[in-house]
Amino acid sequence: MTGIRDKVGKGKTRLPHVSRRSILVGATAAGGLAVAWALWPRAYGPNLTAAPDEHVFNAFLKIGDDGHISAIVPQCEMGQGVTTLLPQIMADELGADWRTIAVETAPISPIYANTLLVDEDSATFTPRSGVPDAVQDVRSWVRREWAVRNAVMLTANSSSVRMFEGPCRDAAAQARALLMKAAARRWDADWEECDTQDGFVTLGTKRLRFGDLAAEAATLDPPAEPVYRASSADPLYGKELTRLDLPAKIDGSANYAGDIRLPDMVYAAIRQGPLGATRLKSIDRKAGMASPGLLHIVTHERWIATVARNWWAANRALDRFAPTFETEGAPISNDMIDAALVAALDGDGYRVASKGDVAEAMEGRRQLTAEFLVAPALHASIETRTATAAPDGDGIRVWVATQAPTQCRDAIARATGLPENAVTLFPMMAGGSFDACLDHSVAVQAAIIAREIKRPVQLAWSRAEEIMRVAPRAPARAKLSATLNAAGGLDALVTRIAVPSTNHEVRARLFDNRPADEAQRASVGRPDAAAVEGAAARYAIPHFAVDHCPADIGLPTARWRGNADSYTAFFTECFIDELAARAGTDALSYRMAMLGDAPLLARCLLTVTSLGGWEGGLAGTAQGLACHSMRGSHIALMATARQSDRGLQVEQLVAVVDAGRLVNPAVARQQVEGGLVFGLAAAVGATTDYEGGVATARKLHQLGLPRLSQCPEIIVEFVDSDRDPGGLGEVGVPVVAPAIANAMFAATGRRIRRLPLSAHPL
Amino acid sequence: MTKFSVNDRPVEYRMDPETPLLWALRDASNLTGTKYGCGTGECGACTVDIDGEAIRSCIVTIAECEGRFVTTIEGLSRDRSHPVQQAWVAEQVPQCGFCQSGMIMAAAALLRKSSNPSDAEIDAAMTNICRCGTYPRIRGAIRLASRVLRGEEKLAAAPPPGIRPEDAARAVPSLKPPARR
Repeated sequence: MTGIRDKVGKGKTRLPHVSRRSILVGATAAGGLAVAWALWPRAYGPNLTAAPDEHVFNAFLKIGDDGHISAIVPQCEMGQGVTTLLPQIMADELGADWRTIAVETAPISPIYANTLLVDEDSATFTPRSGVPDAVQDVRSWVRREWAVRNAVMLTANSSSVRMFEGPCRDAAAQARALLMKAAARRWDADWEECDTQDGFVTLGTKRLRFGDLAAEAATLDPPAEPVYRASSADPLYGKELTRLDLPAKIDGSANYAGDIRLPDMVYAAIRQGPLGATRLKSIDRKAGMASPGLLHIVTHERWIATVARNWWAANRALDRFAPTFETEGAPISNDMIDAALVAALDGDGYRVASKGDVAEAMEGRRQLTAEFLVAPALHASIETRTATAAPDGDGIRVWVATQAPTQCRDAIARATGLPENAVTLFPMMAGGSFDACLDHSVAVQAAIIAREIKRPVQLAWSRAEEIMRVAPRAPARAKLSATLNAAGGLDALVTRIAVPSTNHEVRARLFDNRPADEAQRASVGRPDAAAVEGAAARYAIPHFAVDHCPADIGLPTARWRGNADSYTAFFTECFIDELAARAGTDALSYRMAMLGDAPLLARCLLTVTSLGGWEGGLAGTAQGLACHSMRGSHIALMATARQSDRGLQVEQLVAVVDAGRLVNPAVARQQVEGGLVFGLAAAVGATTDYEGGVATARKLHQLGLPRLSQCPEIIVEFVDSDRDPGGLGEVGVPVVAPAIANAMFAATGRRIRRLPLSAHPL
Repeated sequence: MTKFSVNDRPVEYRMDPETPLLWALRDASNLTGTKYGCGTGECGACTVDIDGEAIRSCIVTIAECEGRFVTTIEGLSRDRSHPVQQAWVAEQVPQCGFCQSGMIMAAAALLRKSSNPSDAEIDAAMTNICRCGTYPRIRGAIRLASRVLRGEEKLAAAPPPGIRPEDAARAVPSLKPPARR
């Protein structure tokens, strides 16, 4: 297992691994790691609190006199297992006993800024092509500085391990060095001769518990550079350890924002009216006030909230108030959305990526084209938006699941007129999210209500509010045009995608606190490379171009598990399948011929077809393929699906994934399985129509989400790899719809070009 | 009209008799392991056991519960020892965990009726919605739990809550036993 350790770290100029003591890793390459290390501990000291018998080593680790180790996790646990993965990395480097690991959520601090995500996100915003390296370096530095200063602790884009493996390992290495120094003092030995194992510092036959050394060790000075532990015979990294959060998730004791119980706490329900620039117009105060159990009513220019001793009574009272709303402008509807997408596709766009010369390559040649249409996709997490808020002297305390705690706190401060330091945020686990917890409306609303009624309150959105008011992933319409070479292979490909400028909206909401409708209007017409991310396929195509055609659909849109890749992979992988069929070539060989520059993806594809028993994609086989790369990971999927009298039947999904080295293969497998099921849901449903400014769906069953009986057999295999870890949360999502659509073509001979899957023509 | 047993304890709720059981459990009894997901009986996150049946507590009123025996996830076992709970950890089923109380209650009720359920029986009983995508593990976990219930296998996948520090120190060498008083 030494291979795993040798590859750890981000420094490009690292020395070869010789022995534990001879390694001095220079984390000098620009990256979050270098920033964090250089700033410890002076510029931004850890702002952790510790119990009297607990000692703070750095921003990621505390060790108790009793030997317990508290790992600090600066990411939101939404089911992706981050509260196991980051502690596992730290325990491994520290040489701790896994059974002594406890987990704490990080406080807000610049130390925990997710600089990787900000950097990647900005890179898609302002594409790097054409910008000189020097300029690019300065821009990157500025972005990272901004992220650090503003403590942008985002959880998103499958970045938790990619961003924090380095800092966590460094923090553990630092703590380990301090423990060894303290032990060496007692033994009058050279600290670098010591080692750690199972929660002890060792030297020959001598050993001392971490707990016995912690108080002294925490006062010592760490070495200038992290000194990493040599490989152990039984490393924790790479082990299928049981997730730390599971015991609490099987006995009902895991607390989400809605499980907080405070003395004198009451329960609130809310109604917010149609999407768009909406104002609360009137309520039936007389009927409402007579509602049984009603304690308070709080009205706001955009919503009404009722408060009672239980949530059901509060929600019932809302009906009796019969609130009416008025909305400026034309109400959002399916027709309006479709018309905007069509208009955008016909209009000008921004060329976001290009290679070769598509215009020349296509000049005078026969073009093959296909159009695709994708409906908005809902997050539909089972936990609806929920927050608990309690007045705290002049300030406020708020319990909520958030993927951006600093921005959540700032939004609450702005809305309540409080200074930021008067807002105390308790980040909770999320019951799903899928990026819905990048929106902070519910936390702001709960804080406003608590301050108005001057008592602790818990606000939960009803399912109907959740369906109607959580902005969905954007709908999109695309036109793909190709010209072929003499052998039927792709010579030129132009992918034009009409889709809203979602990431401008998200930024305006997240960082500038703008209401969704204002953020939507301000984003209109702006180029957004992230909105077409993943469209520049990994295939070696001599000439290709990707255009973003910004669509003003009126409907606010949001990030979502898989983001733009969830539709761009559908366009590309379905279109490639069409071209292969037209060329009379097996969909596997057609892809493989173009994957010479993408050996990792090619290997996934070859492995999945041999594992799944690919029969050449002939008519009647009901097998379909798709492959995709995102966030440093690669996936190939083989689906078996057919049309039966009960509708679409997906019988099997076989996936092969290369996500680099795996911190915890069991958690990795969960993530890919989960991504596939999420992708399956989006392939068959997870959407709503819009009429009169609101979603037409009000109940969960209208979203057509799959249940156990509709879940196909799922087989997931990982490619052995010692590459740096790739992201795992999203990579399973994008391939599902195209693989099923391609399988349906093999089964029925009909092309499906819309999501949710439907053979209905556009 | 609203007297019944919750986790083997007699309770009378002084609430509107039309209040769904879910909200009595959550907001009056603080039994928050039972979750709200839809309020219309569709998602199953609020599933509890009423007289041996898996029931969605958001669509049952407390008046309808009069005289009945309600068991929630908190009352399924005192120490996470129910075979379904242990199997859920052994198979690493939960992700975000929000729907899992309901899943576990549905599975436990199924196994009480059928000690060795078929795929079709499992599919019919497990209609809860999970968005994280834990479905691929659920059949396996139920089968594992059924083997444990039939005595064919033993499981110790999840520790009980409230392990005393001295017991922990006995099992884990790097933990220090608390000072004797």
